[in-house]
Amino acid sequence: MALADPAAGAPGDPADRADRGDHPNLGASSQVAAEEAVVSWRPSRHARRLLTLAAASLLLAVITRNPALAGVAGPPLLLLGAGRVNAGRYGARQQGAGRDSGGAISSSAPAPVGISIGLTATRMYEGEPAAVDVAVADDTDDLRWSFEPGRGIEPGSATAVNGRAARFTFAVPRWGKRGLGSVTLTLHDRWHLFEGRVQLTLPSVDCYPSPAVQRTEVVLSKLPNRLGEHRARVPGDGTEFMGVREFVPGDRQRAINWPATTRRGRLQVNTFAAERSQDVVLLVDATSDVGEPGASALDLALRGAAGAARAYLAARDRAGVITYQWGGTHWLAPSLGRRQLYRIIDVLLRSDTGFARGSTFSRLPRAALPPGALVVAFSPLLTGRFVEALRDMRERGFSLIVVDVLNTAPPPRPTFADNAARRIWQLEQQAIRFSLRELGVPVVAWDGRTPLDLPLAPYTRRPLVTRR
Amino acid sequence: MTPISPDGEARPAARPRVTAVPRAGLLAAAGPRLAAVLLGAACVAWTATPLLHSGLAQTALVVSIIAVTAGALRLAVADIPQPEDNFMLPAYLRAWLDILALLRTIAWEETAVVAILWLEVQHHLRGWHTALLGAGLVGYLIVTHIAESGADPGPVFRRQWKLLAVGACLLAVGAGFALVPAAAPGAGAALLRVLAAIAVVAAAVLVLPG
Repeated sequence: MALADPAAGAPGDPADRADRGDHPNLGASSQVAAEEAVVSWRPSRHARRLLTLAAASLLLAVITRNPALAGVAGPPLLLLGAGRVNAGRYGARQQGAGRDSGGAISSSAPAPVGISIGLTATRMYEGEPAAVDVAVADDTDDLRWSFEPGRGIEPGSATAVNGRAARFTFAVPRWGKRGLGSVTLTLHDRWHLFEGRVQLTLPSVDCYPSPAVQRTEVVLSKLPNRLGEHRARVPGDGTEFMGVREFVPGDRQRAINWPATTRRGRLQVNTFAAERSQDVVLLVDATSDVGEPGASALDLALRGAAGAARAYLAARDRAGVITYQWGGTHWLAPSLGRRQLYRIIDVLLRSDTGFARGSTFSRLPRAALPPGALVVAFSPLLTGRFVEALRDMRERGFSLIVVDVLNTAPPPRPTFADNAARRIWQLEQQAIRFSLRELGVPVVAWDGRTPLDLPLAPYTRRPLVTRR
Repeated sequence: MTPISPDGEARPAARPRVTAVPRAGLLAAAGPRLAAVLLGAACVAWTATPLLHSGLAQTALVVSIIAVTAGALRLAVADIPQPEDNFMLPAYLRAWLDILALLRTIAWEETAVVAILWLEVQHHLRGWHTALLGAGLVGYLIVTHIAESGADPGPVFRRQWKLLAVGACLLAVGAGFALVPAAAPGAGAALLRVLAAIAVVAAAVLVLPG
């Protein structure tokens, strides 16, 4: 199957989904594959049933000497005979395909049919509906499409449709790269006694984690000298008023504050705060995936990271990502723009693999972790090595904030030993969080349901002080 | 969000596509299935009366009831997709998938047809009764196929009505042969009538479709 157009479409904004309702108009699809599939014809299940009826009634007629049973064989034999003759006519209609020397449809001579597959989107967010369109260029009387969804694909419409073209809607409830499954095309002849089958494997789609809602940003107190939208603590050419000082040669005349000048008797000018941007590195701990599927720690981490990436990129910050996995890390250097959001999410999707063969965390290049960057870590803090890496980063002078995505705990059990172990585990978790706070790393808990602004509120109201 | 690809490439022009939708509503899907169940149940009931208490007849009755019921269940769950694999699924889900596979693997309709015919031959010779049973069984098989293929019943029956009419005549001929008084008593005369009926059926099959 040749891919005709790999970029069929991008996911829609989850915020827009509510406006579209449960059954949105998914629009037209883009063709992703076109294939000349080979159809092998064979007697249908209906023909086999009719043959069984005819054979059984004839056999029983002879055994029991009952002529009425011989009559029972009449209608199925007539239908089978008519179907055989019609098969010859049908085969002759097919141009040189699927028929033997006698013109009848035969399984030994497969017939090709042109089938096209289209998708409304090859990338989508979790739970966002999409559709696959299938069509065949054939004038066969009866066609039936059956959709067998792949693992992790939820069909949103009937999975079997009759007609030359069909649209199957589906949704992917959990992020990741998902195979859509397959579509089976069943062609029937006029009498439904012969059927041809073609099974087509559908392409894969990328399901992006649904971004968490985040409208505010954590801003560092010390920002790099780069033009942006965050108010810095140093005077500059921004638009936000900072103070009044005495005029010095070179100041712009339009900055003169005439009321202050009148009061003091000397020329006074307004000063404004500089506007800077910051580097933000989203650090995702993909070593542990605990909790219920769909609301596990990794799900929350990826959704939180996607939401944070969207928020910081919207604020004209440079955002990058590092996924921490067993055996290595994947990283993307901070950059600007909308395309960076999709690049970040593509890197996040690689967390699906579990074991990564990437860079070593301790040897990440300067581009991946620029000095002075704000590091927002999403982690359940269950892996000792990751916690050590956080401590190491803090000691190297990075400003860190940890979003704790652990939303599950060992269940309480009746035995004393189990309860004691559970209690020890809880104390250990508290100790980990306490030790990070002592190092100056804020740890906020996020349950995945509320907007990220709520747990981050104490740190978004004022700049996060950078301490070394 | 603007529908652009992450690579920044413009989205290709959307082309209109004809899409097929399932035939109107729930009734269109459930109608043929319900009809198949009713026809199967009617065939079993028609054949079973009067009730026989011999072992073979009771076995045939039980098998036919099971087969018709399982066939109905197969049609009812026909739209439930089979997952690609059942790895790490809970036990109750695996059991449900096994039941689905069992329903879809065994040829329930063929089993039902054979069991019903076997039940019919347990009774004494009854020509018109058997002929009507034959009509019911053919209808059961056609409606079952319509239900599982989703085909529109109208065109299917329109194409076949002439053959079905001739088939009804053959059923009547078979019943008539059964009712003709034997020329001479004994098994030979009965066999003769059977062969005559088969010959008529064969002649009709050979002549009519051409």
